[in-house]
Amino acid sequence: MLQLVLFNVTNGLIIGAFYVLMALGVAMILNLSNVINFAHGNFLALGGYFAFVLTPYIGFWGALVVAPPLVAVIGYLIERVMIRRVYSRDPVYSLLLTFGLAFILQDACRYIWGTTGLPLTVPASLSQGISSELFFITGYRLFMMAIVAIAVIGLFAFLRYTRMGVRIRAGTLDLDTVAALGINVRLLRSFNFAVGIYLAGLAGVLAGGQIGLNPNMGDDLLMPAFIAVIVGGVGSLTGTLLGGLLIGVASALTTVFFPSAQEAVIYVIMAVVVLIRPRGLMGEEGMLT
Amino acid sequence: MAYRILPAIGRRTLIKGGAALGALQVASPYIISARGEVPIKLGFIDPITGVLSALAASEVEGAKLAVANINASGGVLGRQLELLVEDSANDVGTGVQKARKLIDRDKVDGIFADVNSAIAYAIAGVTSEKGVFHIVPGGHTDPITGKDCKWNVFRICNTTTMDSAAISATLVKKFGKRWFFITPDYAYGQTLQEGFVKQLTAMGGTYEGDKLPINTVDFSATLIKAKAYKPDVLLNNMGGLAQINCMKQFTQFGMQKDMALGGALFELESITSVPPEAQTGWWTMEWWWNQPGVPHVAEFVAGIKKATNKPASARHWFGYVGVHSFKLAAEAAKSLEGIKMARALEGLVLPPEVALQPGKVFFRTGDHQLMPSIFTGEAHPPKGDPANVFTIAEAIAGETAGGTVAENGCKMTYPA
Repeated sequence: MLQLVLFNVTNGLIIGAFYVLMALGVAMILNLSNVINFAHGNFLALGGYFAFVLTPYIGFWGALVVAPPLVAVIGYLIERVMIRRVYSRDPVYSLLLTFGLAFILQDACRYIWGTTGLPLTVPASLSQGISSELFFITGYRLFMMAIVAIAVIGLFAFLRYTRMGVRIRAGTLDLDTVAALGINVRLLRSFNFAVGIYLAGLAGVLAGGQIGLNPNMGDDLLMPAFIAVIVGGVGSLTGTLLGGLLIGVASALTTVFFPSAQEAVIYVIMAVVVLIRPRGLMGEEGMLT
Repeated sequence: MAYRILPAIGRRTLIKGGAALGALQVASPYIISARGEVPIKLGFIDPITGVLSALAASEVEGAKLAVANINASGGVLGRQLELLVEDSANDVGTGVQKARKLIDRDKVDGIFADVNSAIAYAIAGVTSEKGVFHIVPGGHTDPITGKDCKWNVFRICNTTTMDSAAISATLVKKFGKRWFFITPDYAYGQTLQEGFVKQLTAMGGTYEGDKLPINTVDFSATLIKAKAYKPDVLLNNMGGLAQINCMKQFTQFGMQKDMALGGALFELESITSVPPEAQTGWWTMEWWWNQPGVPHVAEFVAGIKKATNKPASARHWFGYVGVHSFKLAAEAAKSLEGIKMARALEGLVLPPEVALQPGKVFFRTGDHQLMPSIFTGEAHPPKGDPANVFTIAEAIAGETAGGTVAENGCKMTYPA
């Protein structure tokens, strides 16, 4: 039993790492722009499908590099054309807008690539388990962990050490003051939105290699991402990181003892956190108000 | 000076004219032809979005082909068919709402629903209450034609008892009696696992398993448990995209070296969506496109290919047979009245151009369950044709696998 539990803690960290990648994108957009992006999962699907189209020409590695920026460009354009029009309104408007956008993107994927699942071929070198004992740690899952780690370190470094990153962090705390300092807030929000969508696109390529592609693939990954943000605390990317890992481990461990509750447990965690510490584990009071 | 340009119409003339016009409404062939222009509306509810969407899409495509063929050959009772397709979104509440909308607002003459057993079951309650003829093309859970059977509900696909009974002995004989189940935690999965457990325990087997949410994406935690249990066979009872994800992770973890795979359904849509190494295991197949020498199968396969550019699957067949069953019931009853159609369809044997398989295929009178052949066999990577991913080992009579009406608990009652 102990081995089973330890295996599932490890497995939960792997699952959680993927939630982190999704959740960081959601959090980036939410923190700066107060937009709850319900279409985030559909941008993820778009990333996977773009990789599927590109793989025959430039291989999986090429698709991994090219597909996420392509999705980010689409995200940037959508932000310019649609999302920015509702920034000045109640957050409900952006929620409804992205909710509708989610359906549009999902139907577009269904129309173009069909309802039947499609495989995204990954290099054979990544397909094997690292040992017969640790069969659930495949080369691909290790690779995913590495990419997530690189993305998280890169994101945190970007936010800490680049001028644009510092502006985004400052805008998260007080956008009005940032604007008063003469910084182009519209451009800042557009760029930030594109970065968030880039992370969704990257998650889409990685998910496609693991579970394949279908128009709904982002739907079931979106809620854990939102919950990771809420549990970790709105406004805190470190909190989001912890939130993602926490719900990943909790979900995996619940499967050992009470499998049908593996989905419900993450909502229970969210409810407990919201009741006991409404700002989340590392969130700041007053965010999103 | 006044000129009369029209004959004066007297009261008697008006009454005579009115009477003649009334008689014409009843007697004239013209009026019958005009009535024929009012289509018969069929409401088709399926989860077009969600984890079962690929299966639902195939059912709708099969139904559309049947409607097109029937309309081209004169329709039903001289009227054309019109198919109204609604998305249940894999949600019971949405499915019931769509059923009520189709019945109350669109005034459909028949309902077809749903791939998701729980939705099909819930909608059966609505159609029964409203007295609307209802065909379940692809929702498998037992109670629909078992203990909760209803006079107005007929089912095309097999029951979970039929599918589990058809493959259990093969799995035990080929691989062993220690099984691990991965099962969706809703109506379909629950009755399917019950059916398997009944068969397995009768043969002296043991089991363990997890019941998981229908839309589970990551199966790694459950697969770790499965590996620790060391089963002879892993029964993947998940459906649609969830089953595909489970199969992929199973092979990514290299577990095919440690245990066999099998279960009730691994449908064409799903087999062709997984990598070749996951195209494996022993399963039931409720209809198969490659039946050399069986009349009309090639025409149907060609029709689906032409309309959709896809290979014909069991789900296409469900939709196709569903609409044709409506036609057969209406024409046998010479009416669209639900009770008359239900009575007419009881015991009806499908003609070869609809049955599309050997043997007698009929609706059992006692529970309204279609009794076809159940094919068992092995999934494998494509052999020649990309859709040639399953080899039939045996065809089992549906009634043999399904048990009797009394065993299934159906007590059919009609409204007084």
